[in-house]
Amino acid sequence: MHSGRGPQAMTPGNSFVPGQNRDKEMTGAGEPTGWGKLVGFAPYRALVSLIYASPRRQFLFLAAFPAIWVLTQHLGPIIQMLFVSFTEAYPLSKGAETQFTLDNYRRFFAESFYWVPFFRTLAFATAFTVTTLIITYPIAYFLTRYVSRRNQLLLLLLLLIPFWVGEIVRTYAIMILLGNNGAVNLLLKSLGLIERPIPFMYTGFSVGIGIIYLTSLYMLLPLYSALEKLPRSYADAAADLGAGALTRFRRITLPLTLEGIASGCILVFLISTGFYGTPVLLGGPSTTVFAETIAGFFFVAGDEWPTGAAFATIMFITVLVLIGSFQRIMTALRKGDTR
Amino acid sequence: MKRSSLSRRRFLGTTVLGAAALASPAYLRRAHAQGGEVNVWTYANFVPDSFREQFEAETGIKVNIRLVDDQGKQFNLLAAEAPNPTADIVTVAGHRFLQFISSELIAPLDTDRLGNWGNINPTFSESDWATIDGSKWGAPILSGMEILAYNTDVVSAEEARSWDVLFADKYAKQTAYIIQDMMSIIMLKLGYDGNMVAYLDDHDKAAEIVEEAKQYLIDRKPLVRKYYDSGAEVQQMFINQDIVVGHAWNGPIATLINDGFPVDMTIPQEGSYGFVYTYNVANNAPNPDNAYTFLDAILASSEIGASMTRASGFISTYKGAAEHLTELERKSTAFTDEELAGLRFFRAEANELKYGLVDPAVEAIKAA
Repeated sequence: MHSGRGPQAMTPGNSFVPGQNRDKEMTGAGEPTGWGKLVGFAPYRALVSLIYASPRRQFLFLAAFPAIWVLTQHLGPIIQMLFVSFTEAYPLSKGAETQFTLDNYRRFFAESFYWVPFFRTLAFATAFTVTTLIITYPIAYFLTRYVSRRNQLLLLLLLLIPFWVGEIVRTYAIMILLGNNGAVNLLLKSLGLIERPIPFMYTGFSVGIGIIYLTSLYMLLPLYSALEKLPRSYADAAADLGAGALTRFRRITLPLTLEGIASGCILVFLISTGFYGTPVLLGGPSTTVFAETIAGFFFVAGDEWPTGAAFATIMFITVLVLIGSFQRIMTALRKGDTR
Repeated sequence: MKRSSLSRRRFLGTTVLGAAALASPAYLRRAHAQGGEVNVWTYANFVPDSFREQFEAETGIKVNIRLVDDQGKQFNLLAAEAPNPTADIVTVAGHRFLQFISSELIAPLDTDRLGNWGNINPTFSESDWATIDGSKWGAPILSGMEILAYNTDVVSAEEARSWDVLFADKYAKQTAYIIQDMMSIIMLKLGYDGNMVAYLDDHDKAAEIVEEAKQYLIDRKPLVRKYYDSGAEVQQMFINQDIVVGHAWNGPIATLINDGFPVDMTIPQEGSYGFVYTYNVANNAPNPDNAYTFLDAILASSEIGASMTRASGFISTYKGAAEHLTELERKSTAFTDEELAGLRFFRAEANELKYGLVDPAVEAIKAA
């Protein structure tokens, strides 16, 4: 059994002397352990000496893996999408050469019927974000102010349970709930409130319910975190000074949780603009979102990928600009509060 | 309650089928144990589980299935992998052959290597669309068609004689269709060639017709409940009673009929379009020998054809497959001569012209 001497030698602040531990391993009882063999392995020692020669090298070594991950897994696909959006055809047929064009972008601006799902997506995302905030803020407030610490974790766990299954399964659950033959209509019918089922499904309402259900946790957690950090004594002090409940909320709680609101809103807005499966399954003829339009270009055989990539880029840039503007507004609001 | 009893029936059916397959003469014996794998891109239920298990046991070839649900998506995936695809066998609809052939994505089929080629009904294996540039390109396995499906508790057979019922005020917001396919049907209903082959030399006329069909669907958009894409969606909508009438492919509706759901289907008097699914060997497939072994094995018996029909709901192209189906299964995959008289097959010659006009029209209808 190895004693862990090797790892101790590697801990920060404990200067590493190549060979030192090896001697200890070798002079110990019995054969060297696996770790001991590794430490004694010349290429390994050379590598460690190279990396630990200076703090700068240590930093570069540690930063290399996340940098590679971000470049290949995050920026890589975006760069590839940008590249494809400027090509005339992709994938290329045999023997063909890449030709660059702006036509894929022109197509969006030339055909007004593409604007409808584009702006509908932004309007939906804004409405769903605001609604999610309005629904989840009181829940987060109740959790942090009126529930004991132990029960808070239990309730959070209960709220997390639906997220153990995937988006599509949860969307089907909504379908079962809202269908003509679904639980809500059956309940209303059994209560004698309706004779014919209410067509909840395949409307903006069903898409909204689905997306809010799927994104609520992304709003709830930042809000919970922000409210949890807010000392109760602030509100108590304000109350002592004569501030009513509404004033305490407006002047103390809300401004001091703006950071959580901003984080939650950004997360929900970003996710809402990119949802594809939920609008496809829950949406109707008048709820087509831009992700469906983009997907159409990838499903259609032929040279439509570049158009899909261009449309995705347009949405990507628009969302970046909107989020950037939103962040500036929230920063200004926060600064205004501290002045 | 209904759902659970249906599941039990399905389970029993599958078990009986599996037992029958295991007890049947080993139709795969000709395929010597050769090992390796074969990668098949196909639709759900197109490779019966019982066949797959026996094939793997008899040949040692592992069958890797990748599900596809759209011809265009399959084309794009294959094009992205060309010239070294991971697929050995793909499932191309007959009217999409040209596109796959011109992009060199599928290889000509060497029917001499398929001892069981003769088990396919010549109506399908020897049709004009099946031979291109003097070669066969696929083994026809299942045939499908665009049909009108209706809930028999709500809609009468008389009403379902015309596509007009899809746009009747009486059933407003209780209808659904695949919008891309409906464009072809509406063109046919309006008296035009939905394949657009007739307008290859008159692009203005083609554009005019697509515009008329587009406007027809835009005017009736307030009546439709859902534009859908997959067979599972339309099944779900019928079961959930979100719709009472809809356009669909016959396969998913036949499955509903066999499950005992009160739904029926018809080819309306204005006519409709049919298509044939084929198994094709991918160009430069990684395991071509295994691909041919698989193809010959799956064509070996009419019982396999019947089980493919039973699982998918589409009509088998195998000779004598219907003999292995129950009366209800036969009924769910049969149409009258009058209905079949209005059926024509999708053609590929004018696809570039057609979809160049139809795709933007579909987007415009969705946005309207």
